Amino acid sequence: MITIVKESPKYLIGEVTITEANLSNSDEFKAELVKLLDEHQKILILDLQELKYVDSAFLGALVSALKYAMSMKLDIVLAGLRSDIRDLIKLIRLDKVFKIYNYAEEASFAVNKM
Amino acid sequence: MQNCACKVEFEFDNSAAQLVSSLEYMLGQIAGNIPPQADAGDILFRCKVIITELLTNAIKHAGKGNTRFDIGIDAQKLVICKTDNGMPLYLVNTRNNTTNGNTAFNRRLISSDFLNSLYAIWESENNIRFASEEGSLNDFLPVEQVMEHFGILIITRSSDEFTYSYDKATRTNVFTVRINF
Repeated sequence: MITIVKESPKYLIGEVTITEANLSNSDEFKAELVKLLDEHQKILILDLQELKYVDSAFLGALVSALKYAMSMKLDIVLAGLRSDIRDLIKLIRLDKVFKIYNYAEEASFAVNKM
Repeated sequence: MQNCACKVEFEFDNSAAQLVSSLEYMLGQIAGNIPPQADAGDILFRCKVIITELLTNAIKHAGKGNTRFDIGIDAQKLVICKTDNGMPLYLVNTRNNTTNGNTAFNRRLISSDFLNSLYAIWESENNIRFASEEGSLNDFLPVEQVMEHFGILIITRSSDEFTYSYDKATRTNVFTVRINF
């Protein structure tokens, strides 16, 4: 579900390989996020460009994982979102809690400057 | 169907495997019927997130049997009705019985964080309308205070009116969503 494509001392870039993220796989998705955070102890940049459909269960899993990351003094950063998914995130104002970038490289540049 | 002048009827089998194909079918039917004066891109975005959440709700709560979708479109509005015989929404039977016709008592805060507040407003005993308000803070917020359940909020924010009714006699749940053109 998440493939690590780059790792630096400060962050991981994980490509989300599913196209549909909904209640049927949201628990598994959250478990993968938690496992990556536990094993690598780094900021996680999620490249979501393959994702076409999401629902509230997926967004809930993302928020739950972000809380876990924050409790470890880490972060989950979103990149590559389709415009309609980004609009959905803005609709419920989650753009106030997630850092969102157009591309994973752009996100990694910003993370390096933190 | 509850004043819904429906043009599209669809039966959903409540299986997650059929979620996307069901969504695409209904969006395809809507796309061909949006009046020219409406912003088709905006209407389709709103319909996509609304129908996705209604399908997700059906998978989670509608149980065995099918969930029926009726979609009506005229020159002024689009109405989506979702009907099932699953368990009633958890808000049924939680109305404050000391209302005495006072609208302030008919409104109950059902979830809130610094981003959003979501309200249920009892129009009558088993008819609820949802409303939301944005929080006042615009900076990055403490994430531990953010809620994790967004289904009703997404539909409320995407629509011009979102209501739920429960018929105790027939044990029927009806969610009705209206988008004005």
